[in-house]
Amino acid sequence: MQNAQLVSLSRQIALQRQMDVVANNMANINTTGFKNEAMLFEQFDMPLATDNEFPGDQSVAYTQDWATIHDMTNGPLDQTGNPLDVALSGPGFLSVSTPAGTRYTRAGSLAIDASGTLVDLGGNPVLSDSGPVHFDSADTDIQISKTGSITTSQGGKGKLAIVEFADPQALAREGNNLFSGGTPVPPTETQLVQGSIERSNVSGVTEMAQMIRVERAYQQIADMMQRQDDIRSSAIQKLGSLAA
Amino acid sequence: MQALFIASTGMAAQEQNVNVISNNIANMRTTGYKRERAEFQDLLYQELRRAGSTTSDSGTQLPVGVEIGSGVKIAATPRVMSQGSVVASDKELDMAVQGEGFFEISLPDGRTAYTRDGSFERDSSGKLVTVDGYEVQPGITIPNNANSVTISPDGIVSAIINNASAPTQLGQLQLARFVNKGGLQSIGNNMFTETAASGSAQVGVPNADGVGNIMQSYLEDANVNAVTEIADLIAAQRAYEMNARVVTGADEMLSTTSQMR
Repeated sequence: MQNAQLVSLSRQIALQRQMDVVANNMANINTTGFKNEAMLFEQFDMPLATDNEFPGDQSVAYTQDWATIHDMTNGPLDQTGNPLDVALSGPGFLSVSTPAGTRYTRAGSLAIDASGTLVDLGGNPVLSDSGPVHFDSADTDIQISKTGSITTSQGGKGKLAIVEFADPQALAREGNNLFSGGTPVPPTETQLVQGSIERSNVSGVTEMAQMIRVERAYQQIADMMQRQDDIRSSAIQKLGSLAA
Repeated sequence: MQALFIASTGMAAQEQNVNVISNNIANMRTTGYKRERAEFQDLLYQELRRAGSTTSDSGTQLPVGVEIGSGVKIAATPRVMSQGSVVASDKELDMAVQGEGFFEISLPDGRTAYTRDGSFERDSSGKLVTVDGYEVQPGITIPNNANSVTISPDGIVSAIINNASAPTQLGQLQLARFVNKGGLQSIGNNMFTETAASGSAQVGVPNADGVGNIMQSYLEDANVNAVTEIADLIAAQRAYEMNARVVTGADEMLSTTSQMR
């Protein structure tokens, strides 16, 4: 009997976490370069203490949240007209140098800091093939090509270090629109679009439907636990009255 | 269950987004106004299972982990410093900068401010001032007996004095440029001041070395595009509503929990 309660509990805990994931997706519906997160569940078989004379005993299947996966589909492009906004079309990432090492981002809303270095909104230098990119006050008319080459009125400034990943699921989210880890490989199918940013790929409708599903599943489980409790309490009452 | 707080960060961020958009719309007829855009970043993630951790003695690894985010924050409101459209004003002391550069204004407290709003006037002593009466740098005085003031694209102010046949040069305007003009601090009244992020002003004459030219009798409109702003406003409003709905959903789940016996 307790097993039924505990199985339900495992489902409830998993659903609460899924609700957190939905809430995080929804909170980031307007975040540049954000990738929707989905949750996977797995069955966790718990063997019961079995007696050899009754070989028909079944194990009990609990549920467990197993992984969150990144939905790497491209978000819609939004034209801003700002020369330092770049959107990535395809699976690639920009490389930025943070105090903790190189990180990857798809949030292409870039800026120039006081020393003329090209930085992301967190102030981390954006890397080109030969390190950070520097501009001086004479540089006007900044052009960024589809392959990431930067040219200004003063000539070439290098080529942005765009990377792709054979397995983007191995990337870990760090917050501030940054991803870490993974094994970067040179880009094959990524193109830059200057003057645009990539919006979040969270779909409001899908997440809303997902949330309602989580909410109802949670209520059903709670209802089921209620019934199990009723069964147990009536069993106790009946068995108790027999003994008396 | 974090969902309540995660969704509330979403609501707070969208509230800021609406603030930024409404300020853009409020200033869509402000001379020299540059629109702002709210940019967001996701918050830290709680890693319940880390991708790449070992799952058995034979060295198998978790291909993916469990990461639960904690919401969103507003990261920056970068100003879009694109050129606004220039409109004719028929007033001889109105100026628009076409291209790079800001007019320099000396504030009453001694600091220097920078503006794209070139709707200048003459004060009682003939000095060229902003509509607030702050002096335009370098100081240019237009005598009482001057008429037909002309300003050349490279900023040379000249006027006919005492009905002379040839115009007299009264001075040359200068424009300031910044390495990172997006890093300027807005102080209201259409003015900006320099910050550590913008770098110091590099002053030059108009129409040379990449500095823009001055158009007399024109003003630069705000670069706010009404259609974009309204579309952004609708998106922000819907995002706010959806986050509010997540708060309700999380609340219902908690209420289900509290009603369990």
